Amino acid sequence: MNPWELIVQQPVINVLIVMSHYLAGDFGLAIIALTIIVNFILFPLTLRQLRSTKAMQELQPKLAEIQKKYAKDRQKLAQEQMKLYKESGIRPAGCAITMIIQFPVWIALYQSIMLSLAVAPEGLLNLAKYLYSWSVVYSALPLSREFLGIMNLAQPNFILAILVGATMWVQQKMSMTTTPTDPKQASQSQMMLWMFPMMFTLLAITFPSGLALFWTASSIVRIILQYRITGWGGLRRKAPAESEREKKYLKFEEPGERKSVDDVGADIVVTDSETSAGMNYPAKPSKMRYQPGKDRARRRRKK
Amino acid sequence: MLLKQGKWRVGRILFLAVMLIGIGLFGLGCVEGLQPIGWSGGAVSGDTMFVGSSEGRLVAINLSDESRQWTMPLKRTGQTGGLFGCAPAYGGGCGGGASGVAIYGTPVIAGDLVYIGGHNGKVYAYTIESLSMRWVYPREGYFEPIVGGLVVARGKVYFGNSDGNVYALDAATGDPLWEFKTGEKIWSTPAISNGTLYIGSFDKKLYALNADDGSIVWEFPTEGSIITTPLVSNGTVYFGSFDRHFYAVNIADGSLKWKFMGENWFWAQPVLYENTIYAGCLDDKVYALRADNGNKVAEFNLGSPVSSSPVIFDSSIIFASREGMVYTIDTRNNSLRELATMEEKVYGPLSISDEIVYIHTQDLTLHRINALNGAVLRSISLKSQN
Repeated sequence: MNPWELIVQQPVINVLIVMSHYLAGDFGLAIIALTIIVNFILFPLTLRQLRSTKAMQELQPKLAEIQKKYAKDRQKLAQEQMKLYKESGIRPAGCAITMIIQFPVWIALYQSIMLSLAVAPEGLLNLAKYLYSWSVVYSALPLSREFLGIMNLAQPNFILAILVGATMWVQQKMSMTTTPTDPKQASQSQMMLWMFPMMFTLLAITFPSGLALFWTASSIVRIILQYRITGWGGLRRKAPAESEREKKYLKFEEPGERKSVDDVGADIVVTDSETSAGMNYPAKPSKMRYQPGKDRARRRRKK
Repeated sequence: MLLKQGKWRVGRILFLAVMLIGIGLFGLGCVEGLQPIGWSGGAVSGDTMFVGSSEGRLVAINLSDESRQWTMPLKRTGQTGGLFGCAPAYGGGCGGGASGVAIYGTPVIAGDLVYIGGHNGKVYAYTIESLSMRWVYPREGYFEPIVGGLVVARGKVYFGNSDGNVYALDAATGDPLWEFKTGEKIWSTPAISNGTLYIGSFDKKLYALNADDGSIVWEFPTEGSIITTPLVSNGTVYFGSFDRHFYAVNIADGSLKWKFMGENWFWAQPVLYENTIYAGCLDDKVYALRADNGNKVAEFNLGSPVSSSPVIFDSSIIFASREGMVYTIDTRNNSLRELATMEEKVYGPLSISDEIVYIHTQDLTLHRINALNGAVLRSISLKSQN
């Protein structure tokens, strides 16, 4: 066995088998339980990611101000942005880094579930080498592939595949807390919103539904966590089309002040922040709300 | 502008992360054994060996001139096919899958027919001479996958199925005669002795059934699923279980005679030579046990799991380990000697004919090793011409 199998795969497989044994022999319940446990272990990382997302959202008005202020001095603009990020304790690429850190964990879970399901005789034979010498592990195998007596986890399931896509879409949408101002970025963000869930839906139709169950459970757990920390996020946001209409309206009011294409984004942000009091979005940081970097700045001043 | 560039960079990183996950699932995430490929052994009749290939065909090989003849490929069930050409039920993308219906059981020759069972849930009977199909059962639709082998005796074909049933068919016509329901799926090959059929099930029991009508004679419970083909000799049935024990049970009443504990599952069929049982185990070892009381005579470490059934050659037992090492155990002094090394993994049973050991590996190759001196002879490809 290589180190990956020894340190990661083997423990996860044995935990899955033992949990399945104690959860009425239901492997589906074991997958859900393990998903919850793994999410609990990864909670500090997830929390950091979500807080970072929320902080980015709340930083938007300040970023817009800086952008407006230093529109003609790009170097200064970059410095001020970095300063603001630093003060707020935000790393713009933090979300992606957190995601990449979690990546091996998801791979390990995926491999373990596929191995434990032992969909082909070769798979069952292969599973034997991962087993600990606990009698409970040996007597529990091969695992029942039934989930709640209604679904064969070794076979693809269309409904579960749709659920994978739907829950991923909801979770993605919740995490999209800002409206991209750059059309390129907006289209990319839209692509991400749809591409990820669609890709996983297609995979779920192809793979045994045990994996789809794991993906669905993961998304649901993350939706719950995200709701507890950032609320409904992007799900409650106003449609971008409305912002577009407002932008046109403002341009109509001040036809003389036409900006270059590069300044279009600044127009939108300023418009949003100006109208946000009545619209609730994007919200201006209030005293009651979490303000990224503020506490840290205060602490620094005290020192 | 720079702000936009920063966002664009974050977007790109996110996009990269998504791509990484995709690649990871299909690359790093690939796990062995997701697709059924098959591990049929070879059955010899005269100069001809019959093997089920991973293309889903029965192959007849003339051992004298190495000429080959193939049947049409077995038909897939409606469940397979799926998106992007991947086998949906077994996880796509992880290369090395079977291109046809997997065949696990070794073909059985009886009279002028040769029989095989496919992972598509059907049993086929072909004529030995022309390889034309005589009958197929079920004639319409498909059963659950057949993983164990078939046994032909007393004019009947017997087999266990993943639907948990033991079936008996008329060997000449394929008409169903009786069936017996166990509590879980069956991947074991039955054994017949004196009108009684012995077969293990995933429900952790070994069943003794009346071969004429399928009525139960007795059942023997263990703590684990049973896949090994039972070995019947001297009033005792020998078999291994997933509970890591190897059992000897009296065939008269189904009472335990003795049991021996290994360190992993017993999967391969054991062999008996004089008064010693040789049982391969997935703990990498072969155990030599006294047939009368189960006392361990010797154990041999083969370095990787032993799931393929051995063959007896003169006074030697020839085993192959998963990683392709072929060993011979001299029963006179219980010494182990390496016979040959292969590059391929070995899952299926070994066959022997005229001092040549035949090993069918999952790369559509029939390997040949001289049992006397271990010389590796030219292998035979089972790949069909069309």
